[in-house]
Formats: sequence, C-alpha cells, structure tokens
Amino acid sequence: MRYLTKNSVALAQAHHGGPIAYLCSKHETTVSALSNRRRQTPIPTRHRGWLFFATALLLQALSTGQVFAQSADSPPPNSQSSYDQPQDLEAIKPVPVLQTSAAFQTVFDGGETHIHPLLTPVVLVPFGERWLFEARGTFESDLVQQPGASGFHGVVQKEEEYAQLDFIATPYMTVTVGRFLTPFGIFNERLYPVWIRNLASDPLTLPIGIGPSNASTGAMIRGGFKANGHFNVNYAVYYSTLSTASPMDSNRLAGGRAGIFIPKARLEIGGSYQHLLQDDHSNLFGFHMAWQPPKLPLDLRAETARSSVGSGYWAETAYRLTQVPFAQNQLRHTQVVARMQQFFTGPVPANSVLPVSTNMFEFGVNYYFMDGLRAMSSYGRQFAPQGNGNVWTLALTYRFVTPLGRGEVQ
Amino acid sequence: MTNRKAVFAGTLALIASSVVTAIAQDQKNTPPASNPVSSQGQQVAALGAPANHRPASTDKSASPREDSAASGIHDNRALRLEGEKRFQANCGRCHMAPPKFPPRAMATILRHMRVRALITDEDRRLILRYMTE
Repeated sequence: MRYLTKNSVALAQAHHGGPIAYLCSKHETTVSALSNRRRQTPIPTRHRGWLFFATALLLQALSTGQVFAQSADSPPPNSQSSYDQPQDLEAIKPVPVLQTSAAFQTVFDGGETHIHPLLTPVVLVPFGERWLFEARGTFESDLVQQPGASGFHGVVQKEEEYAQLDFIATPYMTVTVGRFLTPFGIFNERLYPVWIRNLASDPLTLPIGIGPSNASTGAMIRGGFKANGHFNVNYAVYYSTLSTASPMDSNRLAGGRAGIFIPKARLEIGGSYQHLLQDDHSNLFGFHMAWQPPKLPLDLRAETARSSVGSGYWAETAYRLTQVPFAQNQLRHTQVVARMQQFFTGPVPANSVLPVSTNMFEFGVNYYFMDGLRAMSSYGRQFAPQGNGNVWTLALTYRFVTPLGRGEVQ
Repeated sequence: MTNRKAVFAGTLALIASSVVTAIAQDQKNTPPASNPVSSQGQQVAALGAPANHRPASTDKSASPREDSAASGIHDNRALRLEGEKRFQANCGRCHMAPPKFPPRAMATILRHMRVRALITDEDRRLILRYMTE
C-alpha cells in the first residue's frame, strides 16, 4: 500500500506539474533538434515551407490531443487532484455487509483423523448514524471415521454465536443489547475467528469466563477513548441473564474488562473480572497482553485466567518472515508461530474445561497466498496425566467481504 | 518428564528470544526525536482544531489561494499518513492488513470494529479516511 501511495503521489505531482510542462519540454527538444539539423545541412528553400507547415501541424495535433486529454482526465487548473481532494466522511453512508470466513481443517489427534469444515457468516446491518446490528453464525462439523463404515461421518452443528444491537450513544460509549461474545480476555472477542487466529486450536483456558456457549445474553456498555497523548483506555461492563435454551444458553453473571493501549509502542495490557450470579457465586480474574513491536513483524500475545473451575495461561508469538534477506518472494508470505500453555484444574469440576491439568506446546507455519487465503500447519505436543499425545493440524482458511448494496459513494 | 521439560524450556527460550530480538530491533531502529516528527505531530493535532484556530502558513510570498490549496494538500496528506499509522497500530493488533473495500462497506466495517475492538472515535475517523482515499 505504501508503494501505491508513492506512485499516487508521483502521479499527482505529474498532474500538477502538468501535461503542458511535459509538452513544452518535448517541444523544446523537437525545436532544438530541428535547429541543429538545420545548421548542419542546409535545407532547400522550397522545402522550408513544407517543413514548417508539417512541424506546425504536428505541434498542433500534439497540443490538441494533450488539451483534450487534460480536459477529460484531469481536474481544471488551480484545483486539487482527486487524490488530494479531502473526502467528506459524513457523506459516506454505510451499507449492510456480509463477511464470510471458511476453513477446512484436518486434525490428526493421537492417531485419529478429524476433518473439520467450518463456515462462519457475519452480517453487519447499520441503521442511521448510530445503530448497528451484527450477527455471526457458525456451521461446522467434526467428521471422523466410524468403525464398520467407510469414509468420514458427522453431523452439521449450527450455532448463533452472537446477535446484538449496538447503539453508539457518545464517542466514548456504546450500548449493546442481545446476545454478545463475553468480553473476558481478548481471545474470545478478537482472536477467535478462524481467519484471524494464528493457530487452529483454541487455548486450553478459553472456556474460562466466557460462558457455556462463548456468549452472554443481556446488556453491555463499552467504549474506548484517548486518555492523553500517550495511551488510550478501553472498557466493557456487562450483565448476562440465565438462559437454558441450547445452543443459545448463557450464565447469569456480571463483569467487566479494562485495558490500556499505548499506540506508540503498540502495547496493550488489561484485566478482566467476572462475578458469577449463580452456582458457587465465584469470582473470575484474567489478564491479557498484546504487543506488536512497530519495527518488527512480530506478534506477542498472552492471557491468564483464574476461576474456581480451573486456571491457566497461554503465551503466543508469531513472526512474519518479511525481514529474511533470502527467498523473499516465498518467505515474506510465511509466518512461524509458537504457543505454550498450561491449564490447572480447579476445586469445582466443570464440563466446559479439561478434566485434568494439561500442558501443551504448539509450533506452526502459516503461508498467506493472498489477503484472506491462508494455509496453516501446526504440530502440538500435549502432556496430561492420562498420557501424552501429538496433535497435527493442516488447514486452509478463506475470508471474503460482500457489500449488500452499492459500495461506492454517490 | 525430561521430554516435557525440554519442550517447555525450548518454547520458553523461543518466546524469550523473540521478545529480546524485538526489543533490540526496536531500540536499534527507533530514530532520534527530530523536528519533522514533532512538527508533523503538531500539524495533526492542529488539524483536529477548527479551521480558524489552525496555525497560519509561514510562506509570505504565496497568494492566499495558493496558500490555502497547498495547505489543504499538506493537511490531507498528513491526515492520510496519520490514518495509516492508526490503521497499523489498531487493526494490526489482531489481523493482517485487509484490502481496501468500497467506501460505504468500509464505513460499516469500521463501525463494527469500533464496537468490537474498542477503537476510539478519532482513530475510526482517521482510519476511515485512509481506507477510503
């Protein structure tokens, strides 16, 4: 994009320097060449008139073409080019958008092969200047080989992950009602989509704090603002009611998350708190960190979570090989990833988390063919009391965006 | 158990080396504070102010029309540059840079990301300007 910008600047400058300047320089060259030749070989007098007439015609044709071209393609003199024309942002009326991500994963887990196709459509419908309805559904299946049957078999699972209505009350606050992703930590809200995550598998601590179906049903207030010139503050406070309607079930809970983002360092740190208003009425805590050094194509992310059903952490680093001095055509599309995580069971047993304490290490290589299309591969080693195992993953992810209306500004 | 400790140590060393490399590279590549950077920061800060509060041009020889046109171009480029910075800082936190979509679709996506990623209103405006021009 930076190269495009440079080219656009050069084009804009050429427009401002103008076709006339270009024509004048060509004209001078032509005249000087003709005058030199004239000095070297005298031209008969009867031919001078024809030569002058032909030169005049040529110049006229050139200048006419340039003038027509200028009037057709470039703005009038003393005005800015379209590149430099400030765009009225308020005139851009948003249209509904359908964003779809798809994945085809093959997981080799302890000698068993799983085929995992996934389709996730996201619908965004804006209303007026302050409203937005957004919903995400998931269609997925876990296909495995069954004894006595050929091929892979499974059922398609359908989930409505969230369906929420957002009202942007002020520049610093948005009110959300409906079913929303529980903002505990950053993975569930930001890194969960298959086209975003660096490794195909979920962190072991993901089920902690996000509810039985990764979402809550209720209301939320959230926003972000610039605290001073050095950092931004973001926050989310929410309340969820009990719902037992599977697969849209949720727990009765209340909580919040707050974070500080330092744009210059591209560092974000924050914490989450949640109080369960049912069962054991326990408290949950979490901390998160994300850092992208401005000068390096490196992502560092980490999260911890602590609750009565379990606790643990994960730390992940991903490095895009754009700075490797050889084989740049291939390596600049390549990303290497490593993640380590530990999970410890808590005093209260729960079905949502692993039944035993587990450690896991994963290493992955991703290749970006183009924007939205990516191949993923990873190897993980899992250590658990009942036995250790290897998990291999191969995946192909794809994401595309479709405006449901005219995308250009009228 | 030995295998587990070795993998644990290897992964920890990998992540630690990434952090150390990032810090070293960041310190090595950070340019010293210079006037252009500070003047650009002042300019972007000034762009947020009303037009009559913006600093006047120091070029006395330019006509008012040329002065305002040049100032507009300069302001717009500074805004676009700042938008690119905000784009990389905010959007790059979670995913790779997407392509530029049609403006009205981009407006919807940024409204969504404002709620999802909690970006500030100022960042949203600058990113929208950068992504639609």
